[in-house]
Amino acid sequence: MTADHRRSFRQRADAGGPVGEGVERTRSRGPVVVNGRDDFTLANFGRVSYGGEPVRIGAQARRAMAAATRPAVGPPGRETTRQASWTQARADFGGGYLDAAVVRGILFACLASLVSGHAGVRPSVAERVAALLDGPMPRVPLDGQAGTGEALPMAHVLAGLPRGDLREGEEEALLGGAPCSAALAADAAISARHRLGHAEGICALSIEAFRAPLGAYDEALDGLWGDRYETAALRGLRRYLEGAGTAERRFHQAPVSYRIIPRVLGQVHRVVAAAEKAATVSLRSVTTDVVYVSDEVGRPGGRAVRSGGSHNGMAYPALNALSAAWADLALVAERQVTALNTAETSDLPVNLVAPGAPGNGTYAYGWAASGYVEEARAAATPALLPGVVEDPHADVLSPVFSAYRRERRAAECLDGVLAILAIVSSQALFVTGRNPAPPLRPLLSFVRSVFPPIDGTGERDLSADGGRLQQALAAAARSGELAAAGPASPSRA
Amino acid sequence: MTVVVDSRDDFTLENYRRVAVGEEPVAIGPRARRTMAEGRADFLRLLESDRTQFIYGVTSSFGPRAKLTIPPDEQRAHARAFGFRRGNWARGFGGGYLDERVVRGIVFARLANFVAGNSKARPVVAERLAALLDGPLPRVPLDGEIGAGEVLPMAHVMQGLRRGDLEEGEANPLMNGSPVSAALAADTALQAGHRLDHAEQIFALSVEAFGAPLDAYDDVLGDLWGDEDDASALAALRRYLAGATPGGRRSAPVPTSYLVLGRVLGQAHRAVAGVDEAARVSLRSVTDNPVYVPPDEGHPLGRAFSTGGFHNAMAYPALNALAAAWADLTLLAQRHVTALGTAAASAPPVRGPGAVAGAATGLEPVLGGLVEEARAAAMPTLLPAAVNDAQDDVSSPTFSAYRRQARAAECLDGALAVLAAEASQVLLRAGHRPAPPLQDLLAAVRAIFPPVDGRPRDAGARGGDLGAALARSAVTGSAPFGSAPFGTGR
Repeated sequence: MTADHRRSFRQRADAGGPVGEGVERTRSRGPVVVNGRDDFTLANFGRVSYGGEPVRIGAQARRAMAAATRPAVGPPGRETTRQASWTQARADFGGGYLDAAVVRGILFACLASLVSGHAGVRPSVAERVAALLDGPMPRVPLDGQAGTGEALPMAHVLAGLPRGDLREGEEEALLGGAPCSAALAADAAISARHRLGHAEGICALSIEAFRAPLGAYDEALDGLWGDRYETAALRGLRRYLEGAGTAERRFHQAPVSYRIIPRVLGQVHRVVAAAEKAATVSLRSVTTDVVYVSDEVGRPGGRAVRSGGSHNGMAYPALNALSAAWADLALVAERQVTALNTAETSDLPVNLVAPGAPGNGTYAYGWAASGYVEEARAAATPALLPGVVEDPHADVLSPVFSAYRRERRAAECLDGVLAILAIVSSQALFVTGRNPAPPLRPLLSFVRSVFPPIDGTGERDLSADGGRLQQALAAAARSGELAAAGPASPSRA
Repeated sequence: MTVVVDSRDDFTLENYRRVAVGEEPVAIGPRARRTMAEGRADFLRLLESDRTQFIYGVTSSFGPRAKLTIPPDEQRAHARAFGFRRGNWARGFGGGYLDERVVRGIVFARLANFVAGNSKARPVVAERLAALLDGPLPRVPLDGEIGAGEVLPMAHVMQGLRRGDLEEGEANPLMNGSPVSAALAADTALQAGHRLDHAEQIFALSVEAFGAPLDAYDDVLGDLWGDEDDASALAALRRYLAGATPGGRRSAPVPTSYLVLGRVLGQAHRAVAGVDEAARVSLRSVTDNPVYVPPDEGHPLGRAFSTGGFHNAMAYPALNALAAAWADLTLLAQRHVTALGTAAASAPPVRGPGAVAGAATGLEPVLGGLVEEARAAAMPTLLPAAVNDAQDDVSSPTFSAYRRQARAAECLDGALAVLAAEASQVLLRAGHRPAPPLQDLLAAVRAIFPPVDGRPRDAGARGGDLGAALARSAVTGSAPFGSAPFGTGR
């Protein structure tokens, strides 16, 4: 995450602005103070992860942790202690590293179990974990992290934690929960909400560029289809298309890819909501392998419950679903690129070449889009429970890292196709001298600030300009704001 | 009994079950007939106001020739021609056939667009459609049904419908739209809830056979994890383990596959709820293209316009998610069988006075194949890469998703059958009776797959019988293996 993005996120939080639909609006008040599980919200995750804010353990949480009795429990789960010893050897098999912002998010999520008082750790241990957020983040390799629970990546995350004086059960509590799943789901959910918003805008721009009839987005469909997510998608499109002219639109129905876009976007709304729910639930879950329960009537000594909390069963399916939705949306966007670029279909100038201008216009952008679509489809292969078994006891592993990486890749590919759709839409409007509906004009200005229309007046590095637009969309998915990623390549006369 | 449909609200999952599984007929109610007659009259007024306006399939040709306008004096003949010739679009072949109950379900789902007048059709067309349910339904091949919308399978479904007298605007409501997705989702949803219940019972039996500690299913976890689906799974496990003996259970580290049971089943609950919602929403949706919207203040003649309603975008992802959940449960069942076998071999869990010697079931080797097949079936169906033509540039993958889900479910049934047999065997060797809510289940398992006593017999065939019994129970909703139902169930 760049310093600019961090600043942007912070400013938005300070202003109480949206950091993603489904993410609570909040005002930054310096450190994020956590007093209980209810403080582990998506908004606070954003403040800590992207805003770089520190975390302090509140007085109520310290009291809860200090008061919690900790009855004797059997031997620590051998899987977590063994895995910890593995990574103490600094196993690093590469595959790149988690973004530091996400590592911050994992540390934040880790605190939910601790401050609940159910993890059986002392307040000083939680404070020590929180203090890690005041320093640089350790590198967490992306490869080699599928194990029972999340002890493998947590050993990397907590590499800088002084552990010499940890008491019985405390190391297991630190390594034994599922905070990685919570943080990966939260990171994906926040970006996904922004990415969906930008996708709706670019699809609406494409509708305008193609002059598709507006009936396919009519408000009567809200009730006829009767699905809340499709209604959200229809409304999203109508917001962008408000004031769109009706006079110059094609008289007959548009290709399928234009008519079904509200339903495809509706499915994206559904999976984004599911990812937000997975993140919201997971962030505040107590997931340590052993939980201590001390407040039950009739059990003054409390009791220890050993469970499979460290296996998060909802995050990786939610990430899988996002990947599939990105892949499908990429395919529909590619079909719209083809429709716009095909004069026989669109009734637009061949290759969208400006009148009298030389060159090939937007020819072959559809081919480039095909590559992204195929990569997105490959990334949509779901991460299932891994087939391997470590030993007879560690016989089910967590696939969340795989699911996260695939979702990142599918999203990156979608950004590529959306960039191309935006380029081609902008060009179609340019060569026909039209303006889109008023709500779309800021988006069009943004697109053209990164990728000016191809006017045939000079040679440009169209590949580099397209890449910049893809990067700008990726950055916008993180920050929530569309901003140009550097100037377009200069035309060479 | 007859299911009477008067409005879209009558297109419930329960009514679907009555028609598709219970084979009840459908009658169009008087309110629906009135609404359709009014809708038809309103539509004709709209059409007569300007027969040159674009109304897909009425004043225009179909598919890639949508640009081609039909002159006003040829529009009636155009509708009739569709009925006689172009309406015969059945093309797919091979791959087996949809079960007739699903074809019944498709006919039922198709009626949702008629009853509120959005179809533009006369009541007689809907009545004719409903009457199809009184006779044998045509066979719908499973291969070759992927195209834009669902006209390909609908052409098979409508083969027996008399359509030579169709009038303007009455062809598309029969063929266009997405009733197939609605029916496939509904058929799956009805079975999925039962299948999940079977899985919970059999996994609970496995918990008892292994002697796993009950902590991992404690009710305190419902709040600490804070998720409704995880909590439902834990509650179901506790329901089946009620009265389980706390003593004599294993104290050594328990395999993860027993500890994570609540979480993995929680995801299955989530996936089942997803397909349930997709079915409920889809069944009552009006998905016609073009759709007719009755008159309102701003549009005194109503409106007919083209939409993408024929593309159901929620059913196939819901089926994908279910297939993935079944694959993960299949793997978990395999892990349990391995754990039961390993534990029994190394330290037989002798927990009761009636312990007896017994051989292994011999079924464990089949699990490797079932797990791999289930995982292959869990590969998601995405929007198809193929393009039919420039106009029909995105197809619907629901048929593929349905078949993969069914295959993953079949594999899960097999794995659960093996787990049930293995758990039964381990309990016999330990001389242990499971918790009371599981005892009917155990008796039913043993009725089909008696405990192995070392004498030669065809274990594979009996294991197959167990799997088949589970599959039947998933359709009918009966208790697994025909055992007496316990408690409230799902």
